[in-house]
Amino acid sequence: MMTSFDQIRKEASAKGKKRLVVAPVTASTDLSTLSTAMADGLVFPVLVGGGKAAASWVGRKRIPAAHLEIVDEPDEAKALAAAIDMLKKSTAEILMRGDMDPGLFLGAVLDREKGLLKQRVASLVSVFDPPGVNRLTMATDTYVNSFPTIVEKVTITENVIRLAGVLGFASPKIAALSAIEQVNPAIPSTMDAAILSKMAERRQFGDVTLEGPLDIDCAVSRRAATRKGVQSAVTGQGDIYLMPNVEAGLLMAELSVFIGKTPMACALMGVSRPVVLSLPFVPAENRLTEIALAVLLCGRL
Amino acid sequence: MIRSFADMDRLASQKGPKRLVVLAPEDEEFMLAVRDSAAKGYTRPVLIGDREKMERLAAAVQFDIGGAEKIHETNRQAIADLGIRMLFSGEVDIAGKGQIPTAYIYRAIIREEAKAGKGKVVSVISMWDIEGLEHLTCFTDTGVNITPDFRAKAEIVRNAVFLFHLLGYPKPKICVLSGKREVNGDIPSYRDFLALRKAAAAGELGVCEVMEATSFIDIFSPGKADFSLAGTDIGKTDFPHIMIVPNLATGNILVKLDFALKNVRRRSLVMSSRGPVIIPSRSDFRDSILGEIAAGVTVAEQIKGGAAS
Repeated sequence: MMTSFDQIRKEASAKGKKRLVVAPVTASTDLSTLSTAMADGLVFPVLVGGGKAAASWVGRKRIPAAHLEIVDEPDEAKALAAAIDMLKKSTAEILMRGDMDPGLFLGAVLDREKGLLKQRVASLVSVFDPPGVNRLTMATDTYVNSFPTIVEKVTITENVIRLAGVLGFASPKIAALSAIEQVNPAIPSTMDAAILSKMAERRQFGDVTLEGPLDIDCAVSRRAATRKGVQSAVTGQGDIYLMPNVEAGLLMAELSVFIGKTPMACALMGVSRPVVLSLPFVPAENRLTEIALAVLLCGRL
Repeated sequence: MIRSFADMDRLASQKGPKRLVVLAPEDEEFMLAVRDSAAKGYTRPVLIGDREKMERLAAAVQFDIGGAEKIHETNRQAIADLGIRMLFSGEVDIAGKGQIPTAYIYRAIIREEAKAGKGKVVSVISMWDIEGLEHLTCFTDTGVNITPDFRAKAEIVRNAVFLFHLLGYPKPKICVLSGKREVNGDIPSYRDFLALRKAAAAGELGVCEVMEATSFIDIFSPGKADFSLAGTDIGKTDFPHIMIVPNLATGNILVKLDFALKNVRRRSLVMSSRGPVIIPSRSDFRDSILGEIAAGVTVAEQIKGGAAS
């Protein structure tokens, strides 16, 4: 089981270079993380977009021409479509967002006909490497779905379990969070959590332990859970936190990063090929880990 | 201006004791906190609950309640009704939740507010003291309204503004939190932000300012494409005093992250029109309950001193 971002990057480096296509590339695309990923032997980049902009970056960085490819397509939408096509035809293995609004980019990536959506829904998993703790934790969905239905939450759960498997969690412990730890029909997310918990009990998610609803204090502190009379293998030991909605997911992830100073990298799940979104709430220090996560996901989605 | 929980503790020592009615202190952690608050001179407690249980627990934690007023009552709603009535009649300065479901207390507050002709929306204000931040901040509503609409949020804002005025913040800054992001367009909480910003500008929410930010990235990294963890310093941000959470689940999850984060502490209360009602979580321990009592004493003192006027 991987227990730190360092370990994720090391394991990814051992996989050999993956062909990573960045689209669309413009003069203002920040490719600094890509330089490091190349130096670490993680990726062979294919830059799709403004050929001059890409060539200028290559010149500035003095990158030998044989170490990457440039595809000239100045139209941003067409550049992204070409990149997605490369993934579909398996001439590239990872897609990375270039200089495009995340909403527009995701819209194309998750298009049911032309995009890379594989499952019922895609979802974002935020992976945390809390300081001073030798273990990784995950929270989902922290970006894609605003107020997922129980049907969508089932897929979101399956998506994160898949990532946990890639990271070596043999039997992950999952907390389905809500406002309270009791099932209360007035609070729909408690009902959703209870359903997921029952499904897990019936082994519908495979070898996992899923407890819900749990409030965050019961989930992160066994002592607090005991005080509330909640007994579960998940309390204080959770590997994965299922968020009731995106407001809780996104804001919790941001709060952990900005106030908790917790390193975080994200992975898009539910797609057929790894996609690096490079979202604005991911710290610059952790963007390389996002590429490493994508490398580990190659062939495992 | 009260800038930290340490300020509150100091003020509680200096200005106590205040009369605190404790609703069902039938649990060791609550009884320990009440004992300590009396020992520190914060409070003179009035205990409502099962007399036999209270006496047994008090003896177990070596708390001499011989001189304290004790009222025997076992019905949960009756305990809440009586305690809140005492707060509204001025017999006590603060009410505090013990081992009793909060729903009973909220119901009792709503009834008393209605009788007093205030009809206030009841909301829980959870303050955070964050290392490196030179002022207090809070999340609200973290306890009552499951999915507040704009009207409820306006009331929630007013309650929190009232508290921050009491704490000495003449024009608190408000961040209306939202999960709005680059995908999926506007969501209700963002529309609430736009409406609350307009209402604040029109002076409808009291003396306060609604900030442009709706998320932590807006606060910490406004308008920037990139930020680094190492370069992030809360002391250098324009951090809000009041954060309005979009819904109950989000509020509860955010505010109780103090269980996971080492650099924040939490104290929660309800601002009724007649005084503070402290609302420890059922998972809180003695020290945090004691801190909440200090917060209640501070607010009660500020009300007495007319700090909000």
